[in-house]
Order: sequence, then C-alpha cells, then structure tokens
Amino acid sequence: MGMIGTFDAFTTARLGIYAAQHGLRVTGNNISNINTAGYTRQRIDQVSLKTGASDMYRSVYDNHVGNGALVTGINQIRDPYLDIRYRNTSSDVGYYDTMLDGLQQIASILDEVGKGENDGDGLLYAQLLELSDALRQLDENPNKDNDNLTRASAEALAALFNTYAGKLETLRKNTEEGFQKDIVSVNEILTNIRDLNESIRDNELQGDNALELRDERNRQIDKLSEYMHIRVEYTMEDAGAGKQVEKLTIRLGNSNPDPAVTTDSSVLIDGLFGTQVSVPKTLPKTNPAYDPNETNQAAVEAFRYIKPDGGFTNDPAEAEQLDNDNYILHLSKLYDRRGREWEGRTPTYQQLTDAELVKDYGMVLGQKAVFKFDVGAATGWNEGDVIRIGGKDITIGANGDITVADMADPAKLAALVAKNLNGTIDGYTITADGGSVVYTATKSGLVDAADKPAGPTFDPGTATGNITFNEGTTPFFGVDAVPPKFPDPVTTDNGDGTQTIVSFMQSAGKYYKVTTQVEHTSEVTLDDNDIHGSLQATRELLTEAGSFATKDTVANVDENAAKKRGIPYYQKTLDLLAQKFAKEYNKLNEGVMLDQDGNEVESITGTVEDLKNLGVRLDQAANTDGGFGDGYYVKADGTYMGTTAHYPNCNLDAAQIKLTDTVDEAYAKAAANGAAAATTREEKIAALKAFMSQHGVNNDNAEKETITLDKPIQMGGPLFSNRNDGDDTTGITASNISVSHSWSIGNVRVVPKFEVLFNGDIDHSTQNKNVGHMLSMIEKSLVYDPRDLVPDAVGTKLFEGCFNDMLSDACTVQGNDQRVQNIKLNTSYTSLIDLDTSREGVSGVDLNDETMNMMQYQKAYSAACRLMTAIDEAIDRLINNTGLAGR
Amino acid sequence: MIRATTGGVLKSYRRNLMNSFINVNKSRDTVLSQRNFNSYAEDPVSAARAFKLRKARMTVESQYAVCNDVHRKFQTGWNSLESINKLIDTENGEPMKTLSGTSLTMLNDPTGDAREQLTKALDQISQTIIQNLNQKYGENFIFSGADGHNVPFEIKNDKLYYRGVPVDAAVPTVVKGAGGAPMGIDPATGLVAANGTTYVKDPSSALIKRSDFDDIVINDPTATQPQILKKNAVPGDPQRFNEKGEPDDNGDYYLNLDEAETMTQEEYETAVTDAKKLKYLMNEKQLVDIGLGFQENENGKLIESSAYNAALNGLTFIGYGLDSDGDPKNIYSLVQKMKEIGSRVKDGQDWTKADYDEFDALVKKLEKASSEFKTEFTNMGAGTQKLENNVELLEDNFYNLQEQYSDIEDVDMADAITSFIWAQYCYNAALKVGNSVLSESLMDYLK
Repeated sequence: MGMIGTFDAFTTARLGIYAAQHGLRVTGNNISNINTAGYTRQRIDQVSLKTGASDMYRSVYDNHVGNGALVTGINQIRDPYLDIRYRNTSSDVGYYDTMLDGLQQIASILDEVGKGENDGDGLLYAQLLELSDALRQLDENPNKDNDNLTRASAEALAALFNTYAGKLETLRKNTEEGFQKDIVSVNEILTNIRDLNESIRDNELQGDNALELRDERNRQIDKLSEYMHIRVEYTMEDAGAGKQVEKLTIRLGNSNPDPAVTTDSSVLIDGLFGTQVSVPKTLPKTNPAYDPNETNQAAVEAFRYIKPDGGFTNDPAEAEQLDNDNYILHLSKLYDRRGREWEGRTPTYQQLTDAELVKDYGMVLGQKAVFKFDVGAATGWNEGDVIRIGGKDITIGANGDITVADMADPAKLAALVAKNLNGTIDGYTITADGGSVVYTATKSGLVDAADKPAGPTFDPGTATGNITFNEGTTPFFGVDAVPPKFPDPVTTDNGDGTQTIVSFMQSAGKYYKVTTQVEHTSEVTLDDNDIHGSLQATRELLTEAGSFATKDTVANVDENAAKKRGIPYYQKTLDLLAQKFAKEYNKLNEGVMLDQDGNEVESITGTVEDLKNLGVRLDQAANTDGGFGDGYYVKADGTYMGTTAHYPNCNLDAAQIKLTDTVDEAYAKAAANGAAAATTREEKIAALKAFMSQHGVNNDNAEKETITLDKPIQMGGPLFSNRNDGDDTTGITASNISVSHSWSIGNVRVVPKFEVLFNGDIDHSTQNKNVGHMLSMIEKSLVYDPRDLVPDAVGTKLFEGCFNDMLSDACTVQGNDQRVQNIKLNTSYTSLIDLDTSREGVSGVDLNDETMNMMQYQKAYSAACRLMTAIDEAIDRLINNTGLAGR
Repeated sequence: MIRATTGGVLKSYRRNLMNSFINVNKSRDTVLSQRNFNSYAEDPVSAARAFKLRKARMTVESQYAVCNDVHRKFQTGWNSLESINKLIDTENGEPMKTLSGTSLTMLNDPTGDAREQLTKALDQISQTIIQNLNQKYGENFIFSGADGHNVPFEIKNDKLYYRGVPVDAAVPTVVKGAGGAPMGIDPATGLVAANGTTYVKDPSSALIKRSDFDDIVINDPTATQPQILKKNAVPGDPQRFNEKGEPDDNGDYYLNLDEAETMTQEEYETAVTDAKKLKYLMNEKQLVDIGLGFQENENGKLIESSAYNAALNGLTFIGYGLDSDGDPKNIYSLVQKMKEIGSRVKDGQDWTKADYDEFDALVKKLEKASSEFKTEFTNMGAGTQKLENNVELLEDNFYNLQEQYSDIEDVDMADAITSFIWAQYCYNAALKVGNSVLSESLMDYLK
C-alpha cells in the first residue's frame, strides 16, 4: 500500500473549494452579462488531479487516489461554423436591406400610388393628362385662355419633372454621403479588429484567453459582415520562444462571379495588420488588354495601366487618372497600429562550397604551419630504462613500449614520441613522418618563426642514454586566410509586388548565400463586384444605370450591369421621358409655312404683326438684303425694330442691318455709319435704337411694317428648352426641362396650324390641326431608346408606349425591383434570425442553466468545506486523541 | 434548436412581437387608407392597371367637357337654324313672314299692289337669315367653319360673302384653247391672241352657224357683218367651233364677238380662285376629340373617323355656287335676284312674261334651296342628337371607369376589418405570451 500523506486530503478539499469558487465566479460573470451584447457564455475547464509519483516498492495492495479537482482554464462556447454562416447571411441581409431602403426612397419620389387628386390620380402622371386636357380644350376652342392654360399646364409639368429630378439628385447625394459615412464606419471596424487582435495576442502571451476581447472582436466582425462579405480564418503563428498564438485573418469573401478576378479575396486583416478602405476621386486608367498571366514583360498585356500619352505602365501614379464615377473601392496596404507596413520574408539558405567561395567570391583559404623535428641517434639505452615523454613514463625493453634496438631506429622512435606527445601541446597536432616528428598547427593563419613551438622534449627519468632532436628541416610558416568578398545585398523587384533580396552570411565557420523572398501587401483597387453586403448595395444604388449602362461598362466593369438598376437608372429614365416629351412637342411646334394644298408657301407678304400672329418666326427668316421691303429690322433684345421707309439721306443701305444680325454685328454696321459709341451690350442696343430712331425707325411702326418673306418660311418655335431664360433645346433632361423663354414671353405660341390659306386671304382662326397632332401625341406609342440619352448605352429599347405608360412602366419596374428585394431580404433575414437563434442556443446565457450551475457549485463548495471539516476532525482524532489507551 | 437560452428566447420573442406589431399596423393602415395597396411595390400589376384606368377616366373627363361644349354649340346652332327654318317655311308660309309665303304671294299677286313691300320683306327675311347664321356661341361664331373668331357672313353691295369669298363663286365657262387653258383674244383685232388677257364667256350663246354667217356675208353684202373670231389677220381664217362652243377646225360655228360676253384674265382668275376657295371651305373640318379614338395614321394624319368635325359651315345650310343655269344656289343670293326682278316692275303693274318666268323659276329654285336647307337642318339635328348620346356615353364611361379602378384599389372593408381584428388579436396574444416568457425561470424558485 502506498504512502498516505497525512495532510493530502486537505489539499484535495482546498482544490475542491477553489474549483467550486471558480465555478461560482464564472456563473456570476455569465449571469451579470446576460444582457451584454455579443457576450459568449463561459465555462471553466476542470480536470481531476492525480500526482504522478510512484512508490519505491510496488505492492499489489497499492491504491492510488486522486488529489482533487484542478481548474485549468476558462473558455467560451462558440460554434465557428455558425459564425461563418451567420456572417455570410449577414452580408446578404446588409445588401438586400440597403438596396430595399434605397428603392423605397426612390419609390417615395416616383411612386404616385395614392397621391394626387381623386385619391390617387398621381402628380406627374396626372399632369401629363392635364396637358392633354388643356390641348383638347385648345383644339376645341382656341382662345387666349386656353392658350395660357396650355402653357401653364406645360409649366407645371416641367416644374414637376424638375422637382422629381431634384429629389432624385438629392437622394443620390444623400446616398453618396451615407456611402462615405459607411466607409468611415468600416474603417473604424477594421481598426478596432486590428487593435483587438493585438490586445488579444498580448493577453494570450500573458496566459489570459481574453474572452471579453474576443466577444468584442466577434461583435465587430459581425458588424463588418453586414457591410461586406468576408471570410474569417484562425491560424496559429509563432510568437517567438516557441510560443504559438492565435492569428486572425479576414479576407473578402470571393463574391465576384468572375473567376478571373482575384481581388475579391484581398486581405483586410492579417493578425496585427489591417487595411483601410477608401474611395479615391480618381483611378488610374486600366489597360483592357492586361493579362496577369502574361510572361513577356514587354508585351502590352503585361501592363496594368495606360499613361496619358497612350503608353503603358504598371505604376498607377504614372497612369492617366480618370474620375472614379463608379465608386470603386480602394484598399490600402496593411499597417499595424504603429503605422508599420506588413512585410513577409521567406529566406532560403544555400551553403557555399570552398570552390565557389574561392572562384566566385575571391576567398583565399588560410594554410596550416607544419614543423618537422628530425630524430637523431639514440644511443646508450638499456632494457628497463624508463623515459618520460609528454609526462608519460615509457619503459624500454622486450615488454615495454619500445625495444632497445628500436630506440636506435629514428622512425620508430619518432613514432613513439609523436604518439605520446600528441595532445599535450595546444594548437598542434603531432604526428610522425618517417624519422621526423611533425607539428601541424590546428588553426589557419600566419605563424611567425618566433612563435615556432619548441621541439619535443623528454625527461630522461632513469635513463641514461641520449636522444637527439635536430631542428626541423622543412619549417613552413603558412599565410593569412582571406575572407570571401561578397557583394552588397541586392534587392530585385519582381514586378508582382514581391522582391527578392540576395545576401550572404557566415555562421559556425560556414558561408551561406541567403535568398529572401519579400512580400509586401500592395494597394488594391477592387473590382466592381468584389464586395457584397450593404456597401456594395449602396455602390449599386449610386452607379447602376440598367439599360443606360455603356457598352464599355458591360465589357470591362460588370457584364451584368444592364440588369442592375440604381438611382442613375431612374434618373436617366426620367430624363429620357422629359427629353422625348420636349423633343416631340418641339418638333410638332416647328415647321415651314404650307399652303392650302399642303405645299410649301413660296413667299408671303404681310405686316410684321400679322406674320407673328400666324406664328412666323421672323428671327429665322432667310431673307437678306432688301428682304424686308424698304425697311430694315434688327433683332436686338428680343424685340424688333423697323422702319416704314427710307428716311431721306438715310444711310441704312450702307448699314445693311439685317434681321439675322446679332447685336454686335448690327451695331458694328451702325457704328460705321455714325451710331454713337458703345461698349456693353446694353449700350450697343441703346445706340442702335437711337441710330434707328434717328433714321425714322422706332418700335411703334415696326409691327406695322409690311414685309415679304420667301421660302422656307419658318413657323413656330421650341416650346421646351433646357432653361427658362433661353430657347436652347440641346441636352434637355428632367432636371432642366423648362418652358422656353420665347413661349413664356409670348414670342412663340402653340402653332395651331402651319397652313396659310390662299396667301392669308382666308382666315381659319379656329383651325387647330397641329394642336390635334399634339393631342394625339399624348397617346402616341413612341420608342424610348436609351441611346438617345447615352449614345454608347447597351440598351436599345427601354420601352414602347405613350408618355404616361412610360412613366407607369418606370414605376412598375421600380415596384418589381423593390418587391424582389423585399422577398430576398425576408428570406435572408429569416435565415439570419434562425442562425442568430442557433448562435444564442450555443453561446447565449440561459438563466436556468446558470441557476443550476450556481446551485451545483454552491453545493460543491459546501461539500468541499465539509470535507475539510471532516478531515480536520479525523486528524484531530489522530493527533490529539489517539494513543491514550492505558493511561 | 438544441438549447434554448434566456437571451435567445427573449430575442426571438422580441422579433416575433415586432412582426406582430408590424402586422397590426399594416392592417390598420389598410383599414384607414381603404386601399388594397399603397405603392407599386405592393402590387405592381394592379397599380399599373389602376393608373391606366385612371388615365382613361381623366381622358374621358376631358373628352366629356369637349363633347359637352360642342354639343351646346350645336344646340345653339340648331336653335338658330330652327329660326331660319321658320323663315323659309315652305309648307305654311305666310306672306311677309316667310320666304316661301312672300315669294309665292308676289308670284300669284295679279295686281302687284304690294310688290314693293313684298320685295322689301323678302330682302329683310334674307337679311335675318344671314344674321341668324352670324350667331355666336360663347366667343366664337357658330357657322363660320374653322374660323370661329371672325364673322362668317358679310353682305357687300347686296352680295353675300362667306369668310371673304363670294358665295356664288363658280369657275366661269370661257372658251378654252389647246390644253384646256382659256383662249385669249384681242378684242381690238378680233384675233385669237396667244397672250391675250381677254376671255370669251359662255361661248354657246355667241355662236353663229357658218351657213348663217355666210348668208349674211353673201346675201347682204351691205349689211354690217358680225365680227367673228379669227385665227389670223392674213389670210383671216375664222376660228371654227363645234356646237358646244369648243374650238374645232371642222366645226360648223363661228364665234360672234359682237354678241360674246368677255371678261378679263384677272376677273377670270379671281373667279377661279374664289371657286377654289369656296370648294376648300366647303371641305374644311375642325376635328376634335370627343372620345371616338382620336388617332393618327402612320403618316401622322388624323384618322377622321376617330374624331368629330366640330366645324359648322353656314353655306352647308343656305347653299353656294351657281347652278347649270348660272343662277345662284344660295338662298340669300336667290332672294337678291328675286328682289332685283321685283324691283323692275312698279306696284300695280303686270309682270312681263320674261320677268314672270324668271321669277317663277327663281321661286322654284328657292323652294329647292329651302328643301336642301331642311335636309341639312335635319342632318344637324341628328348630329346634335349623336353628340348628346356621346355625352351620355362618356358620362357612363366615366362612372364605369371609376368603378373599375375602385374595384382594384379599394379594399373590401369587411375583409380589411377582419384582418385587422385578427392581427390585433394576435398582437394581444403575443403580449400575453410575453408576460409569461419574462417571468418564469428557475431563479424564481430559489428560496
């Protein structure tokens, strides 16, 4: 039976108390943190302790009892697979939630369900019809009221287009601001995770599992996974001194469907290093021909970027910088919290041979010194004599180490001496060589003659004979060894972000060539679809233009771009509608004068006033000299001035001021004929007026002047323009569509008809054929071609139908998009909830559990204490109450 | 779930409670808004359909306004025409009050005692007719075709003009040369002139048979020879005509310039242009959208059957142009001609036979014109009725469309309230469950 320590049981009890107390503390911690976000329940790792010593003598009666419980640590209960699934789904939820939110905001602008009069006639939708109503009234009863009504209706329509476009632009800007804030949040999270990694590592090195920090890190990773799809890896890394610590790596989660793209697995966090996300204002122009597998360094395919001069480069700084309209994300290099860049070095060692060292690096090897001492005649020795060589006694004789006869043989004598001297003199190996004793230096280097070791000595002891040692006959003094001449370390850039450093080192007398592969993290410009999650959804809301995406975008950025619709799509749809609307109505309101048979009128004569009333555009008249009868007209500030006849001695003929002259041109002619000096436009107009007035021209008679216009006689004018203070019809969009300046001041009106009957002999004041065209235009089926707005658009037909249907279609597309996103969000959100519940099931604190643990540990504590009392009592009996018998 | 934790249960409860609350709110919104959907996203197909129906309703609403307006215009016009109808009453015409009564009295009056008064009455009635045709509806003239802003009828020198064009305009019959162009003559020389600016009107009345001409020339050399149209001065070949008055080298007729009525080229061209204008005006239309489709064809031309012609042309009712006798077909012009005949003979004197016959013929023509008026008047009545029917149809359409989109948009209140009450019930139940979730744990049983 093994030995039983008297007080062992105390230790057992004490360990039990410790273990129970730990359990109670952990339970308390769990209960306290039941409401702490991200908290993972903890538990103690408890093992049974048994000391391992064995008894000196084994006995069949030995019984080994354990020594109690030991708490080896506290850990968390998490399921990593659940974490992965949760984070994957979280990025889905982030994506769909953000996309849905954006679409809802678009809907709040465009969706007119329930808006407007009659509980849902819509606003823009109804306004288009109100214009048709005004046109219908104008068609039926053309009078000033209906004309004004039409213009007012058109103004209201333009204003609604402007409002909608303005709201969409505001939404886009707000979304952009939100995007920038999201970037800041992502960077904060990345910084937090990186810093937490360092804290956890430090704690781990101190022996602390840093569970609370891990909770916080998990919470941050969860948050990050909402913004982008990530992949989290845990590995062990060497922390030095044989210590392994956990290393966390977070990469992008391979979201890009294009298998050729590798940037979608870029590293975001690598242990103590982390990147930062940014959206640069400009990006280097990429080379569409770039092929990362191209081996020919000079080939066009080997270059990533294009320079401003059309050349190629791999340096983004040299490349032509293009606006980052696509909000492409950029990842910085990996830095630790002190700003040091991540660097990975992998050395390989190649030991250099002497031959290589001598040949390639000019090494001169050192030689050893050799001294020979010749053994001379040894005479006078007798059997039994003892000689001492190197402190050792040598007996001469038949049974000794050497015979008397051999003493006379120098070779044998030298062998005897060498054998016994070797090892007795530092720095030299002593051997025999024929009749010589050879001292060979064990080190390379120069040995001066003065430092020559003394020759062999012997102590004659009891001997009486002689041994003669002559000086060495071939002393060799050696040379210095010259170390190899290595070049300085050479660093070669491999062109793929890595470097190779070649250096040399000496270790333990050996030389090595060290080839070190150095990896840096490089800045990464992400591809269009590299991230998933809310950040990508916001990007898509900001950039995706659906059918308006350019062919270049589809070919080089995202092959699915034509199917994705963000705010730009809806902006451009509205723009296309406004553009088409303005274009069609402007076209209908412009034309040439026709006669009753539909032929172009050759010429017409009438007063300026009458012609204007017919809708003739005097400023477009092609007439030149004398085309206005005897009078001359000048377009100055939008009004016409004219004359009824030549004023005597008037020099207007010389002035030749024409209707089509600009103010500057007209003034130049007038000035050459005596008009007052003027500089500014206003002064020139005033001078022109004075000049014309001086020659009998004034505004009063201008309108009454009878003029003749020749074909083509332009009528009408633009109803809509790109700003309300002009008539420019180019680039009309929803945001700038306006009633043209000419229409708004009455110089242009809705042309009721282009026909002038019998040279104006017959009036047809209520004939409104052209208004009829305009009216039918409301219902006309038109093709909306995205290329009308974006010439390089990939779409060819956005929609075919009337204006209202086009608007309704845009809303239907939006509604369907929103609906689909909603379904996807619900699906993924349900999955997320399930996963979260599952995670809670594993990692969450349960009061029942903890109460049970509390009771269990409390009982264990009490029991351990009771054990101690029991042992105490038992030992007390042993110590104080044992052996009293017979007293 | 292998393990249900307090946190997990609470989270789960919180989410379910939120869902329940969302459902209650959604149901409440449905009850309050009384709409099946409040955005395209909720039901894109129904939303698009509802907007289409609303668009149709708004269009119908607009068409209704136009149709109603046109209908009123036609009704006002019809009232005017009814007044005219009374003035030209051909059945019970009273003298001095109606055209037929007055003209017949004149014709049948043996003594002609009141001829002057009757003539004046004829004139006044015709003036009244024209005044009626110059009626306005609102600010536009009703019977002015597509020129509602200007007075349609104007009388200048007893001649009636419609929108500045004489209502009796017709292409004059003149001698035509090769190619159908009017043959110019030189009145001074009596020769055909290539660039002559004088034309011979109605040649049939000035033809003289070659034999008759020869008789005069041969039998009575002293008599004044009629001046006939010649081709040339030397040798002085006469221009021969056939019996229709057409130049014909084998014809048996010459043109007697002494009896021929001539007109200048300018007069001829004016008359031709006037006739052309009149023709144009008679075909003029003002097409409006009253819900008949209003659509253009591929060439951008309005399909007439899809629109309604809102133009009322006064001449349609009172006639225009000349008949084969060269008499006007227009009621006013006929009356003026009758007035002119009536003025030739003083009160108490008998008609000459020629005047009587001419007057009689005019009375018949007036009756014919009046009859045509009545036909057009009846047609217009039918047109007015058609408009009235259309107004009613549009009104029905309006309500039908309202009902149709209401069916799509508006909720079934019984269903909505039931859903709301059910959602409320579920929410209450969720709240109750929550109370038990929060209170129970082993901790509660510790002493």
